[in-house]
Amino acid sequence: MKRPVAVVGVGQTHHASRRSDVSIPGLVREAVDRALLDAGLEHADIDAVVMGKAPDQLEGVMQPEQFLAGAVGAHLKPLVRVHTAGSVGASTALTAVTHVASGLFERVLTVAWEKQSEGNAMWALSPNLPFTPPLVAGAGGFFAPFCRAYMARTGCPPHIGPVVAANARANAGRNEYAHLREPITVEDVMQSPVLWDPIRYLETCPSSDGACALVVASAEAARKGPRKPAWVKAGYSYAEAMWVPGRDQVNPQAGRRCAQAVYERAGIRDPWKEIQVVEMYVPFAWFEPMWLENLGFCDLGEGWKVVDRGEQKFGAHLPVNPSGGVLCTNPIGASGMLRLGEAALQVMGRAGARQVPGVRNALGHAYGGGAQYFAMWLVSDEP
Amino acid sequence: MARLRNVAVVGFAQAPIVARDEHRIATEMLYPEIRRALAACGVERDAIDYQVAGSADYLDGRPFGFVTALDVMGAWPPRQDLHLEMDAAFAAYYAWVRMQAGDCDTALVCGYGKTSEGEPRRVLNLQLDPYYHAAIGLEPVATAALQASAYMARTGVTDRDLAAVAARNRGAGARNPDAQLRAPATAEELLRTPWAVEPLREGYLPPVGESAVCLVLAAEGKAEAMCDQPAWIHGADQRIELQTLGARDLTRSAGATLAAEKALAMAGVGRAGDIDVVELCATTPAEELILCDALGLEAHASSLSPSGGPLCGHPIMMTGLIRLGEAFRQVSGRARARRALAHAAQGHCLQHNLFFVLGAERRWA
Repeated sequence: MKRPVAVVGVGQTHHASRRSDVSIPGLVREAVDRALLDAGLEHADIDAVVMGKAPDQLEGVMQPEQFLAGAVGAHLKPLVRVHTAGSVGASTALTAVTHVASGLFERVLTVAWEKQSEGNAMWALSPNLPFTPPLVAGAGGFFAPFCRAYMARTGCPPHIGPVVAANARANAGRNEYAHLREPITVEDVMQSPVLWDPIRYLETCPSSDGACALVVASAEAARKGPRKPAWVKAGYSYAEAMWVPGRDQVNPQAGRRCAQAVYERAGIRDPWKEIQVVEMYVPFAWFEPMWLENLGFCDLGEGWKVVDRGEQKFGAHLPVNPSGGVLCTNPIGASGMLRLGEAALQVMGRAGARQVPGVRNALGHAYGGGAQYFAMWLVSDEP
Repeated sequence: MARLRNVAVVGFAQAPIVARDEHRIATEMLYPEIRRALAACGVERDAIDYQVAGSADYLDGRPFGFVTALDVMGAWPPRQDLHLEMDAAFAAYYAWVRMQAGDCDTALVCGYGKTSEGEPRRVLNLQLDPYYHAAIGLEPVATAALQASAYMARTGVTDRDLAAVAARNRGAGARNPDAQLRAPATAEELLRTPWAVEPLREGYLPPVGESAVCLVLAAEGKAEAMCDQPAWIHGADQRIELQTLGARDLTRSAGATLAAEKALAMAGVGRAGDIDVVELCATTPAEELILCDALGLEAHASSLSPSGGPLCGHPIMMTGLIRLGEAFRQVSGRARARRALAHAAQGHCLQHNLFFVLGAERRWA
């Protein structure tokens, strides 16, 4: 990058299955207002807006950034709308970072959202295409075979998914914004019905209404802000083709390459030792051990052992998703930005009851498509 | 203006616009254009650092339609990638921003989508505010007609003037092998076509069309080897306005005025009239006149849209990128224009406007 970029404002809504108290613009505005307030800025200070969300079919509005231009204060400003499937919240934030890094913009507002209660995500994610067998019922139907493949490949025992799910809920209990905060036990998860073998109901992310907004700024602009910023040391988004022999959706190349690029750029040699907290995109519990491996926190086949030893818990060596993550809050389009924003809050030291002590480096991660799109950033407490 | 990085359009390929390609899906239409654009640059896919596409799930009639384009764009091994739910001209804009940030030297920009598979007027109704505008059945021809009639009321422009604008475009389109409408039409003929939505006649509107487009960008140091005459980007700017039809003066485009002013200033050009060729993304004659006002250009000027513009072919989500490609052809091809202005727009009534200034020489020493 041509010049350093920092996160100077983080805002998110309270997430719920139905935010019927607000319209779509109202929901988006709630996050935007909080991010601007956090940054001590007003709309007039913003040079450009970058918006992201997952498929427009989820709410039934095509290119909704057009009708939301007023709600995000974009009138007569540059605006870019990103859509990279589930990774979109993260790739949207990275697009905003690039705007600042280019030297063309000083302060950029970026916002990602989903109001799933306006539609039916299960329907929207079950396309019935000509010449394609209609085997995919929602994202779970697509991803379940890869979870099963992971278990077969690594010997991951059947209690690992429930352990991940129960830990996520325990974490969400410390996050006032999270959608699902009621504690659940490993036994509760085990007893919940299987939706797509091996994925059980309680190992599955909810459908949420919610939004997240960030303000990113140049170093000069960041130093004028009221608070300690989070410095973006590196951020990349990678994608891989769908129909390629040799693809491995359990340990996707695009994810490995993206993480490698981020670590190289940020000067991280050993992520397990040098990164203190990770917010990763875990829509189904089994993905937590898979991504621990894919992101290089442990060797292949060791991810479930990290979970089994409890090293990913709050207060342990590498807290994973202290916010509760996607398993507890999933406004799809915003889920990736929430991961990146939570990582930023951790290095700013402002994550409230979910703050991990002594965070120097935090990784925010999201993925999407058929485990094809990966976007992540590494943020630090100093430039 | 601070010194920016010199970045150029070095390759462009477009499938001729047709009403409907019966035999190919969107990605099958796109793949040969990617191959042609890369071949014209004399490189293989491995020479490209970054890829960014523009398309719309709603045209595809399914979520994640763009995912299938990864396969034809050559995302194996995995590539640095982005997809915008926008006209692909905005993908080109973002690729240019990204190249300014300095971590890539070459970019592939793709636009695709099968407009013929749905009913675009019904689909584009869904762009409007779902609470107030979409629910009453407004669609792009209706909103464009509201805009045209407001413009005619304010300026005294007549039906005959609109017909003359459309006829000039049709005449130009007859010389463009990639245009969909290649038969010229006179103003008299167009005046006899029935109302689509008054005051817009069928003859003043683009037919449903589809295409696939690939454009290649390269930075100084790489561009020269990829193209005999790169079209250097001298300036670029984009602005969105409120969508709400009652909240803006539809007879003027504040966004186009501002974006053009900024792009021209970046290019060091005093006024749009000093540009040799101007490709406008006007989907009605009234929009073309509003854009001429915004740019301070004479209506009916001979420099306007030598491609025939969107009135001779409007493949949604790539109509804007085609304007940039046409501007590249003017600078890089036999015409050897010294400077060209490319405009892209999306949304109802010119809601979101983008301008590129291209030039035959590098902008920054």
